Amino acid sequence: MSDSHRPLRILAHDSAVPVIAREISRRRFLGFAAAAAGGTALLAACTPGGGTSSAPQATGGALESSLSIYTWGDYDAPEVISGFTRELGPKITLDSYSSNEELVAKLIAAKGTSGFDIVVPTGVFIPQMIENGLLSKLNRDLLPNLSNMDPVYLGRSWDPSNDYSVCKAWGTTGFVYDKNLITRELTTWGDFFDAAQNEASGKTAMSDDPAGIIGAYFWANDTDWNTEDPDQLEACRKFLVEEIAPHIAAFDSYPGTNAIPQGTQALMQAWNGDARLGIMESPDPDRWQWVLPGPQTELWMDNWCIAEGAPHPEAAHAFINFSMTPENLLLNLDYIGYHVGGKDLEQAAADDGMELLDFIFFTDEQLETMHEQELNDSQTTRVAIWNEMKAAAGA
Amino acid sequence: MPRRSAGAALAVPAWAWLAVFFVAPVAMVVWFSFGYKPGIFGTHANDILSLDRYIEALSPTFFATFLNTLWVGVVGTVLCFLIGAPVAYWMAFKVRPQRRGLLIALVLIPFWTNFLVRTIGWQVIIAPEGWLSTALQSAGILNGPLDLLYTRAAVLLGVTYNYLPLMILPLFVAFDRVGPALREASKDLGAGKVTTFFRVTLPLSRPGVIAGVLLVFIPLMGDYITATVLGGAKGNMVGQLVASQFQTAQNWALGSAMAVVLMLVIALSIGVAALLLWLVALPFRSRTRLVLGPAAGGPSTGSGTGAATEVSA
Repeated sequence: MSDSHRPLRILAHDSAVPVIAREISRRRFLGFAAAAAGGTALLAACTPGGGTSSAPQATGGALESSLSIYTWGDYDAPEVISGFTRELGPKITLDSYSSNEELVAKLIAAKGTSGFDIVVPTGVFIPQMIENGLLSKLNRDLLPNLSNMDPVYLGRSWDPSNDYSVCKAWGTTGFVYDKNLITRELTTWGDFFDAAQNEASGKTAMSDDPAGIIGAYFWANDTDWNTEDPDQLEACRKFLVEEIAPHIAAFDSYPGTNAIPQGTQALMQAWNGDARLGIMESPDPDRWQWVLPGPQTELWMDNWCIAEGAPHPEAAHAFINFSMTPENLLLNLDYIGYHVGGKDLEQAAADDGMELLDFIFFTDEQLETMHEQELNDSQTTRVAIWNEMKAAAGA
Repeated sequence: MPRRSAGAALAVPAWAWLAVFFVAPVAMVVWFSFGYKPGIFGTHANDILSLDRYIEALSPTFFATFLNTLWVGVVGTVLCFLIGAPVAYWMAFKVRPQRRGLLIALVLIPFWTNFLVRTIGWQVIIAPEGWLSTALQSAGILNGPLDLLYTRAAVLLGVTYNYLPLMILPLFVAFDRVGPALREASKDLGAGKVTTFFRVTLPLSRPGVIAGVLLVFIPLMGDYITATVLGGAKGNMVGQLVASQFQTAQNWALGSAMAVVLMLVIALSIGVAALLLWLVALPFRSRTRLVLGPAAGGPSTGSGTGAATEVSA
């Protein structure tokens, strides 16, 4: 820290250069500001090893005494968390975020000093997180329980050799409707929009994120939902803002928490696991119908990753490995209600007496209708459509 | 002179606090608002400065939300005043002084609970399958489930409940400070209860009324918890727009521009309200000012044309 003219050499992808350059100059500015305040020594002490390149890597040594996990809210069975501390020692600190963007922003701002060991981003975000140096490579030798995972859910397009990530859980998007109010059978996203404009007008909820809302339009039309074609996006904007927004009562990504048990809405876009929990919580479960709609829908997958600069890499590997034992896979499956990517899980869950398994396990034909999101340059337009639709629904 | 500078030194912590935790953050927000969002993973950049974010923030899309917010803010503040003023009046004049401490404590008790938890409590109460809905249906008042949650009315209910104590307390203090002497004098001079309230008590407690209205209106305009929990899509407020720009869209530039516009809207509304009040009060002010001129005839306190000659503007 004392020699501020030491050159800094960074190997990075072309597209990452402007971001890195800007962040470094900002960081240098912060460093000067701190120096002016007499806090240089303190700042240096807070930066582990003085930079991201020398962050500790796991080699199979002794476990550290603690572990910090930054993940989605309520995403791990408490028995798994307490079991890890009981059997292997490290105390776990859990913190949660509600969107990938929030996670990424925090990691970027911290520059490897976030203090988080394990993070659980959705697959589509992983390539750019790697490019921006936010994730550190996994040591596969420390993850022998990978053999318990179903190969179908490993080696996905965003990280083909699982160098940085391992499946934590995956799910899909469908909808739930109130059979008392909607007496016909709904099976497609087209039906969803039709019911929203008719029987369920003013009692329809859609998820509160751009992907689900904009996805639903393209899924209904059976076209590529990752399109960057401005005409298609404009058609989508017109339809959602002008035709659909006036009928929407709420933007709620988790209707299973309140809306289904309290009977607030008649038609709700929902993730499969959330819909399942909501219907199980409902005083009148027979009233609700879950639909995995055609002609296509989404597949998303959240993944165990280790943050760059993780202070406890050994414990982090141990925890990921611990979560992949057959017993813990089953505990997590039962707790969150999403497929956790393990082998032969359906049989194990059935033997365990779990209910509503058709919300979690899907046939090969159903899996073929599920497509993953891609993060591309149309993201700004998508966020703008989402904003505009929300504003139009309130007007 | 030394005494005065010693007094000023006492204010240094407050000024430092304001500078570090208010002036600097607001200055940063204003600075961000002239920038833009660079790429998917960037939140803000300021190498090109423009007013484009303000044009975006004031586009018809978001303008509708600003109008919604202003409507909720004004109606909510008026409701708080209409409910809070009688309560404060009763506490200040009608209750035995020994009981007042207890009443103030009762007004404050809801503040012991977290704001979010209190609001979620209302969500549970007014849900279509909540107990209020069930009770109203079994009492025969409602035919179907209660259709209140996720409407603008629900947001109004929520903000009125959440901000009411902030109206009652300053009003109570102001009423209390008017004291019995002037009210009794007014009564002795022949004014009725209503006249005494509007001509003596209310004008003298004006600072309390202004404090209460500001304490309710300003945080209410920026509130986003109540609207998120109770408002659904129909009760959208600007606070939610700002929050979603910072959190989900990660567009700090646009979020900052919206926040600045919200501040301006609040300042402008308060300015307009002050002007309206001043204009409304103008005729009353001149009517209550009596000039005893050298003119013939007894001084008359009458109204109408007779008074016009002796009233100064």
